[in-house]
Amino acid sequence: MNARFAIGKVAGALITLGFVLVFNFFLFRVVQTDPVATLFRGRNIPQERLDQLRAEFGLDKPLGGQFVDYLQQTAQLNLGLSYQSRQPVWNEIKSKIPATVALVGTSAVLSAVIGTALGVAAAWRRGTKTDYSITTSTMLFYSMPDFWLGMLLLVGGAIITGIFPVGGIIDAGSSRAGIGRLLDQAHHIALPALTLTLAYLGEYAIVARSSLLETMKEDYLVVARAKGLRDIKVRNRHALPNALLPVVTLSAINFGFVLSGAIAVETVFSWSGLGKATSDAIRGPDLPMLQGLFLLFSAAVILFNLIADLVYGRLDPRVRT
Amino acid sequence: MLLVLVLTMMLGASLASATTEEEGVVLRVGLGQPWTTLNVTAGFEVSVYEIWNLQYATLTDKSADDFSTIEGLAESWDASDDGLTYTYTLREGLLWSDDTPLTAEDVAWTINTSRDQGWGNHVATTVNLDAVAIDDRTVEITSLVPDPKLPTMDVYIVPKHIWEPIAPDGEAVTSYEALDGVGSGPFFIEQYEPEQFVRMRANPNYWQGEPAIDTIVFQIFTNADARVAALQAGELDAIHDVAEESMATLDDDPNIVAIAGYQGGFDELAINGGAAEGQPHPALLDPIVRRAIGMAIDKEAVIEDVLAGFGEPATTISPSADPSWVPDIPEDEQIAYDVAGANALLDEAGYLDTDGDGIREMPGGGDNIVLRHGVNTDSNTYPAIGELFPGWMEVIGLGVELNSYDGGQLFEVIIAGDYDTFVWGWTPFVDPDPMLSYFTSAEIGNYNDANWTDPEYDALYEEQKQELDPDRRKEIVHEMLRIMYDAGVYYPIYYSPDLQAYRTDRFEGWVRQPADIGPVMFSNTSPSYFQLQPVGGVVGGGISPLVLIVAGVVVLGVVALVLANAQRKRATADERE
Amino acid sequence: MTVVVGDRKRQRWVEVAREFWQARSGRIGVIILAFFVILAIAAPLVAGTDYINPVKARAAGLPQWGTPAEVGPLGTDHFRRSVWDQFVYGSRISLLVGLAASFLTILIGSAVGIVSGFVGGKLDSALMRITEWFLVIPFLPLAIVLAAVLGRSLLNMIFVIGITSWPSTARLVRSQVLTLKQRTFVDRSRSLGGSGLHVVRQHILPNVSGLILANTTLAVPISILTETTLSFLGLGNPQTASWGKTLEEAFVNGAIARNAWWYYLPAGVGIVLVVLAFTLIGQTLEQIVDPRLKDRR
Repeated sequence: MNARFAIGKVAGALITLGFVLVFNFFLFRVVQTDPVATLFRGRNIPQERLDQLRAEFGLDKPLGGQFVDYLQQTAQLNLGLSYQSRQPVWNEIKSKIPATVALVGTSAVLSAVIGTALGVAAAWRRGTKTDYSITTSTMLFYSMPDFWLGMLLLVGGAIITGIFPVGGIIDAGSSRAGIGRLLDQAHHIALPALTLTLAYLGEYAIVARSSLLETMKEDYLVVARAKGLRDIKVRNRHALPNALLPVVTLSAINFGFVLSGAIAVETVFSWSGLGKATSDAIRGPDLPMLQGLFLLFSAAVILFNLIADLVYGRLDPRVRT
Repeated sequence: MLLVLVLTMMLGASLASATTEEEGVVLRVGLGQPWTTLNVTAGFEVSVYEIWNLQYATLTDKSADDFSTIEGLAESWDASDDGLTYTYTLREGLLWSDDTPLTAEDVAWTINTSRDQGWGNHVATTVNLDAVAIDDRTVEITSLVPDPKLPTMDVYIVPKHIWEPIAPDGEAVTSYEALDGVGSGPFFIEQYEPEQFVRMRANPNYWQGEPAIDTIVFQIFTNADARVAALQAGELDAIHDVAEESMATLDDDPNIVAIAGYQGGFDELAINGGAAEGQPHPALLDPIVRRAIGMAIDKEAVIEDVLAGFGEPATTISPSADPSWVPDIPEDEQIAYDVAGANALLDEAGYLDTDGDGIREMPGGGDNIVLRHGVNTDSNTYPAIGELFPGWMEVIGLGVELNSYDGGQLFEVIIAGDYDTFVWGWTPFVDPDPMLSYFTSAEIGNYNDANWTDPEYDALYEEQKQELDPDRRKEIVHEMLRIMYDAGVYYPIYYSPDLQAYRTDRFEGWVRQPADIGPVMFSNTSPSYFQLQPVGGVVGGGISPLVLIVAGVVVLGVVALVLANAQRKRATADERE
Repeated sequence: MTVVVGDRKRQRWVEVAREFWQARSGRIGVIILAFFVILAIAAPLVAGTDYINPVKARAAGLPQWGTPAEVGPLGTDHFRRSVWDQFVYGSRISLLVGLAASFLTILIGSAVGIVSGFVGGKLDSALMRITEWFLVIPFLPLAIVLAAVLGRSLLNMIFVIGITSWPSTARLVRSQVLTLKQRTFVDRSRSLGGSGLHVVRQHILPNVSGLILANTTLAVPISILTETTLSFLGLGNPQTASWGKTLEEAFVNGAIARNAWWYYLPAGVGIVLVVLAFTLIGQTLEQIVDPRLKDRR
């Protein structure tokens, strides 16, 4: 790969990340309140102890000093202490990444596969009842707030029928391990994963369908069909590979959103991942936590965009301009 | 690849909760609030007081029934004629849990050092004290000023031989981990996993004898529903902080008792009294308007519709965990819910709605009276009351503008005086002095969130602070609370309980503090744990079903560990390829 | 050429309207939308505000969690409030926020797009850098962070949605302007001495207005869904019950656990229908404005 191209892309990503850091710092400092006073309301605490705690939170320094501190600490993954739990923000966040990756990762893969399949089916049977029902239903799911869809599935799958648990990642206090535990987790992930899959697949279906329709107008396909090739062959050999490129692009972009993709849905299902952590942090608001989460979400997107750019640069020399 | 990753992560997660070996009779308590530190000079959460109550005995103890002062490490005491000096005699043969003798020197050192270094939980009591160890069993404590709290001496006594080497540097004391496990109470800290659990072990040297329980595990379950489920499944024996909506379900279980324990907590509607720089709406400076607002508060509606019945309608603030400090106010002198009466008061005083828009104006015409109401978003309760408040005001013809703040922001708004009303709450200590002090003029800009001052109240506060006759002191306090109540700036809405639940099939002997109304755990001195007995004489030593279960868990945990490691290796191998 | 612009413009709009009404999806969208707009305007005729006040609802003896069978149209909630009244008045807030935020989105997006495309040069690259940045940053977390920091009010909500969702419009408008700039009539107008502003007003704006209109219609669903999500996460104004706020209260107060469908269904259905209506209208418009898209639908 062209080194200059790669360096340019990496530099671009770093600049974007730099913007995020500056934005993050100043936005939150604008509203900085005194969390120490909140923590100790109702307790007889001597003034020196309060001052000491303010110093621990770094609230006693001038703004410029705080910004330098912030950059240094961020570089060391020191994102400060959460106001709510008083634990290091990075520890809190780190422990919640697996749950979110498991949930949103599963849904992202499922929605990409199922959504694309539906889109292809619809395009191939364009104008038929199949096409109509696929486009209508995907559009319906696309129009729903994802958390409301989650609430409906929660009522149907857990409250009324009792098939699935109402929330959480595992049964509380369950002592199962190994396979039993895994099944327990699969049982818990089913409803939220279904919610996210349904919510996302519309986008894939629409993109796959229109892309395939576009491709099918291309001359070589018309020729192929005119040559008497069977439809199925035309579709699989010629149309699909070209039509799926936009779908690949879409999923590459969407994978960047895996970490931040389920804020409201995780809340509905008490799925204690990054999304639930975000909505919990809003109530405080636990500003260091929000700041850390936003940084992580942005960094994930920037990283995946960079990867996508580099991979495309390698695959298709034309984009290296 | 992704699947392997997911599997690995799930297995990894399953490892985190694998349990280790236990011994003897184990009591498991579930709570939601993790500890910041177990260090008695630095911690502050409700959850950590429970640990200290068990680990450190105090010179004088408090009765479980009514908080009255009873013997603790000291078996007797004498007062000097001027009431300023008390001489305490320690019990014979007191030992720390590490078998070091516990002497008067430990007591004197704790009191003097905590005063000098300003230890958070000690200094309020010890600030004016000076302690001298006369001999091993005699300690003399002198107060600079008359102190009605004496002879009560409820600060946690720490072992000098552990803490003295750390203490020369005040910074080192507060950052000390304090996991030495040397204590004088019924249990001592054995193991602490931050965010997860504290395991405490029975102290054979406890002055009242060895407890019937061998081990207590305080386990963190941050999710309230998870705590409830674990209690129902028998994995926990007791839980603290139950959601209102779970109470009925728990109480239906024949093996579970759910209680609402009162120890003085209350939530109030506060009206800006005007003593801060920022001023309230001018109408609020008129006592008639404040009284009308008080009459528009529907306490029953809050208790029924917001608290699901778990609350008691309040009159004055409660300055103590002991309810006898709340004065009786005759029913006809109370400010009761009366919308028609409130409207009549406002009409008479000339606050009329002359432009017919449903909102009253200042007498003689002028702008609508609209109140800036601060909503604290830190809990679910305050926003819910925030939804009721505009309705209450609407029916007496006052407008409301809701402003949402988190606790920190609201605190600043209150200090600045830039609000008209807000709803928030307090939980008092046993001695009423701290809570009473908050409403003196000295606390404006600090704890006085009524922004209200009254010279008579201030004078009475100073008087009670040095009144050594307990009955007379109580009379003075009642008078102070009555003054505050009639001023109509601070309307307590309800006294709020701690909601707790415990199983009855494994342990018996839970103690409510104070008697009949208080909580069984997380109370002022946590007397339950020493009193608990296993049901049907389940004793440690033999192989109980519990041991088998625990062993099973350990085995499964090991299996999971092995599996997870195998998966991890495979995952990394995949990544390398 | 410029002489007949006015006539042609009018003619063009009539054509668009006719074509629009002929498309079934456009027709359905307009009918659904008309229903909710009428509902919002006629709110005082079909609902009341008294039983949105929990105090009056309690005084009137309404029960907590009353079912529709017990207490009329859509039952009552945990505060004994009428769900129907909340639904009707909530439609006003949801539509208002959705439209206002979209308007702001388009205003910022079009301004940036036109300036960037027309002026070009350093200003263009600076503006595009900012646009890129907003496009890369995950949209919902950004909106959450802004809303959490700014505080909970209706205006802040509109501002937050507007400020976070303009970049795609800016890019679209910019590329359209770039295309137009290369066309001869712009050049000729400039060579005849027309000022920049004149050119924009006479030539650029009329030619991008169709695109902007379609884009506005498509921005509304996103605005409404964003408002709903932010409100659900507790960032809505506590005093104005939008549909999103209703869903939050239903969820927080246990409507799911007790399956109080009359509480959590109506607001959600309202959102889905309004979003669907705007999407249908927007897509139809887009097809008419940009005929290349026609074959794909």
